[in-house]
Amino acid sequence: MKIFLRFAGLGLALVVALLFAVFVGDQGPWYFAWAVGTVMIILVAAAGGVLFDAQTEDHVSEGEF
Amino acid sequence: MDLYVILKLVWAGLLCVLLIGLGLMVGMDMGVGTLLRFVGRTDGERRTALNIIGPHWDGNQVWFILGGGAIFAAFPTLYATSFSVFYVVMILLLFSMILRPVAFEYRSKVDARLWRASWDWVFLLSGFLPMFVYGAAFGNILQGVGYHFNWSGQYFQDGSFLSYLLNPFAILCGLMAVSLSVMQGGVMLMIRSENPIHDRARRYASRAGLVAVVLFLAGGVWVRGMHGFVLEQGNPAMPANPMHGQHVSMQAGAWLNNYAAHPVLWLLPLLGVVCMLAEVALVLANRPRVAWWMGLGAWVGTIGTVAASMFPFFMPSTTNPDQSLTIWNSSASQYGLTCMLAVALIFVPLILCYTSWCYYVMRGKVHTADIIKDTHSY
Amino acid sequence: MDLINPAVVDLSRFQFALTALYHFMFVPLTLGLTFMLAAMETVYVVTGKQVYKDMALFWGKLFGINFALGVATGLTMEFEFGTNWSMYSRFFGDMFGTPLAIEGLMAFFMESTFVGLMFFGWDRLSKPVHLAITYLVALGSNLSALWILVANASMNMPNGAHFDPETLRMTFDSFVGVVFNPDAQAKFVHTSVAGYVAASMFVMGISAFYLLRKEHREFAARSFRMAALFGIFSTVAVITLGDVLGRLDYEHQPTKIAAIEGLWHTSKPPYEPWIIAALPNDAKQESSYEIGVPFVLTPLITHSFTTPITGMIELEDAAAPRIESGIAAVSALRRYEEGHQAADLEMFHAHQNDMGYGLLASRHAPNQDVTAIPPEQIQSVVEQTKPDILPNVFVTFWSFRLMVFLGVFFFVLFAMASYLSLKNQLERNRLFLKICMWAIPLPILATEFGWITAEAGRQPWTVFERLPTFMSASTHSVSYMLFSLAGFTVLYSIFIAVELYLMFKFARLGPEAHGQHDHGADADHLSVVAH
Repeated sequence: MKIFLRFAGLGLALVVALLFAVFVGDQGPWYFAWAVGTVMIILVAAAGGVLFDAQTEDHVSEGEF
Repeated sequence: MDLYVILKLVWAGLLCVLLIGLGLMVGMDMGVGTLLRFVGRTDGERRTALNIIGPHWDGNQVWFILGGGAIFAAFPTLYATSFSVFYVVMILLLFSMILRPVAFEYRSKVDARLWRASWDWVFLLSGFLPMFVYGAAFGNILQGVGYHFNWSGQYFQDGSFLSYLLNPFAILCGLMAVSLSVMQGGVMLMIRSENPIHDRARRYASRAGLVAVVLFLAGGVWVRGMHGFVLEQGNPAMPANPMHGQHVSMQAGAWLNNYAAHPVLWLLPLLGVVCMLAEVALVLANRPRVAWWMGLGAWVGTIGTVAASMFPFFMPSTTNPDQSLTIWNSSASQYGLTCMLAVALIFVPLILCYTSWCYYVMRGKVHTADIIKDTHSY
Repeated sequence: MDLINPAVVDLSRFQFALTALYHFMFVPLTLGLTFMLAAMETVYVVTGKQVYKDMALFWGKLFGINFALGVATGLTMEFEFGTNWSMYSRFFGDMFGTPLAIEGLMAFFMESTFVGLMFFGWDRLSKPVHLAITYLVALGSNLSALWILVANASMNMPNGAHFDPETLRMTFDSFVGVVFNPDAQAKFVHTSVAGYVAASMFVMGISAFYLLRKEHREFAARSFRMAALFGIFSTVAVITLGDVLGRLDYEHQPTKIAAIEGLWHTSKPPYEPWIIAALPNDAKQESSYEIGVPFVLTPLITHSFTTPITGMIELEDAAAPRIESGIAAVSALRRYEEGHQAADLEMFHAHQNDMGYGLLASRHAPNQDVTAIPPEQIQSVVEQTKPDILPNVFVTFWSFRLMVFLGVFFFVLFAMASYLSLKNQLERNRLFLKICMWAIPLPILATEFGWITAEAGRQPWTVFERLPTFMSASTHSVSYMLFSLAGFTVLYSIFIAVELYLMFKFARLGPEAHGQHDHGADADHLSVVAH
């Protein structure tokens, strides 16, 4: 039952999010673009940081650092 | 009753709520600012006092901004006219208000005596002055303000700013607001500090509370003899145009007419006085948490008393009383009020929830020893 | 006689411009840095590496110094509509006040309440909850910008409100029309993302400073990398939205776009050049020393090769009948206001779309009263009013160009920075690092130029084609204005001096100076370099 409720809650949130996205995408395409774009920029920057860690670890293991 | 009239009334009520919230929350922080130099003798003690309100002052200050924003949205003509008529006073208020965020953020960032002492004076100024002006504004509108409108709705001023600043009744109201804020600030310090700050705050809070009671009663007696305004003719559902549609007369003692008509309104000043006295008693009995909530009652009583006597006036004009700004002629349109009401119904409960949660997270005593070690604190 | 003093209007404009531009020195960093802090903290929560917490803490501290002044100077803006633009606030407040109030309720409360927890809640909240708080601060500050720009867009494109002769003001009639105003959308994204650029440059420049001094290298290299990537995407977005805004201006504010491009006469597609530099002369209504690139202007503005763009002289001529009709509208309105005759109302309705032009003409009427213009003088008033419909071309033209040149420069700089950072070749290019460092103030400068373009380009109106700036100001005396201006000048000068002193002090000290927090066992070994 608990699991079912959790899935139902998540499903509801998903539906609301989708409806919201459809409405905003329809009425305010640039607002929608901002929301999606900001998330993307954050993810890219975060990925850049993680990539940096990977790069330096490679260097360390190759003994270049 | 007409829907537009109901909306106007609801927004006048909400405006009172905002003004009460402003007095209580911003007033509390400003009281701490006013008291800072007195409850804290050493730098560590002063920093402790600052950090007690440190995590919350910024959020509380939004009550102030929201007060301005709500007047703008719900009663645009009142916002446009009152802020301009009181220009010099408003600018002084603004100067002292903008010093405060800066003082919080910068005071403890440099370790030099003169630097910190200067900012401590800024805290005194920016705690005392805004609350004084806040109270004095009520004093001035109770007495009426000199202005009129031309045909296009442009206001013109007929009085000098000096008459708004050097006005005995306004000064009394200003000092009353300051004493309420000092009392509330002292109570907050008591809740979250230890000795020696705790006992000093207790002393100042109890004295400020007694001063507030005396000034409140004195103001009441003063208003009896003062000239008030009476709305002789004016339709509550009128379009919001201050240029015509109203007839207003000035009469001595008219601010008590509403009380005479509805004696139940006397409960409001009674609530104010009782809560102020109870707060003093609770402070002396070392029960600051309960005392804090009495502060809410004190503000509800004070603002409520003014609102009850002035209703339906916002800012009466002495030079052209017919153009006095009332709830009926200075409001936004029906559509605007409806929109704002919907937004407020969604967000005000939300704000109250997360503000309380923030206080819950940051609960507990603030220790001077921890503050001195922590370089992130104010 | 109650007259408007033009000197007071000019002083009010000057004061508003001064305080708005000053406020806007701090806003872009707040908009961008909050999201960058969120990005850094996200990596910290996901990877658990201490260096990312150090980054969030250190940049958070600099953010705090900046944030305080942003909040303080923002208070001024909230007051100033009432204290200095009384007629504007009464005329437009029914609609304009709503987004401002919602900004307080929805955004500013959230931002200000949670910013306290963000600074003070590190030890009291779990990692994910603190991260969520950081995101809420970022969202709050950007939503705050959203509502302010919704309000601003309604001045440029008054959607969602109409003039009501009964209340003599613009009546709010469509919430959706205001919020989803195309100008608001484009402006918000353009401004918010410009803030990201400013914050990226700030983080990148200070990191470059450490890299140059070979201090805190691991800390600085990571910050540089994140900032460079943050910046390059943001710059692309800023330029895209700049183009969108240009098109909207072309469709809805032809005077602004003509002034921006220095276009005195209607363009001749497709040859018409895009002017890179020129000296526009407002008095003579011509430009000298024009240097341009042919064939660029038409596709740039209209996204076609054949559509002509109307020039300023032609716009003036086209305005003449509207001014005349506006004079009729304002005269009818005044008679209606005084006598409430149905015939006057009918007359007003026939001309109401041109009312703003009639108000604009009032400064050339005897006693600023258009009803007092004798019929034989109407044509001469119209002629006098015609040049008034244009903004100051020199200011609009150059502020736009400087913004655009800086934008292109940022694009190149961030592209190179991303490339060099990804290749780990930064420390070899010392000159490049120096340029990054010196470029820190440039995005802020660019946003200021952008603001000047938008606001100077909207003149002579506060509400486009509805209410002239000349009529909007409060009727203060000159001495009141001198008092407030003197106060602002003194206070703001002290503030900026203190702010810069503290910024330099803490930037020089670097991340180790506040490293009081305990280092868990999971602390990244490399981050020891940064301490």
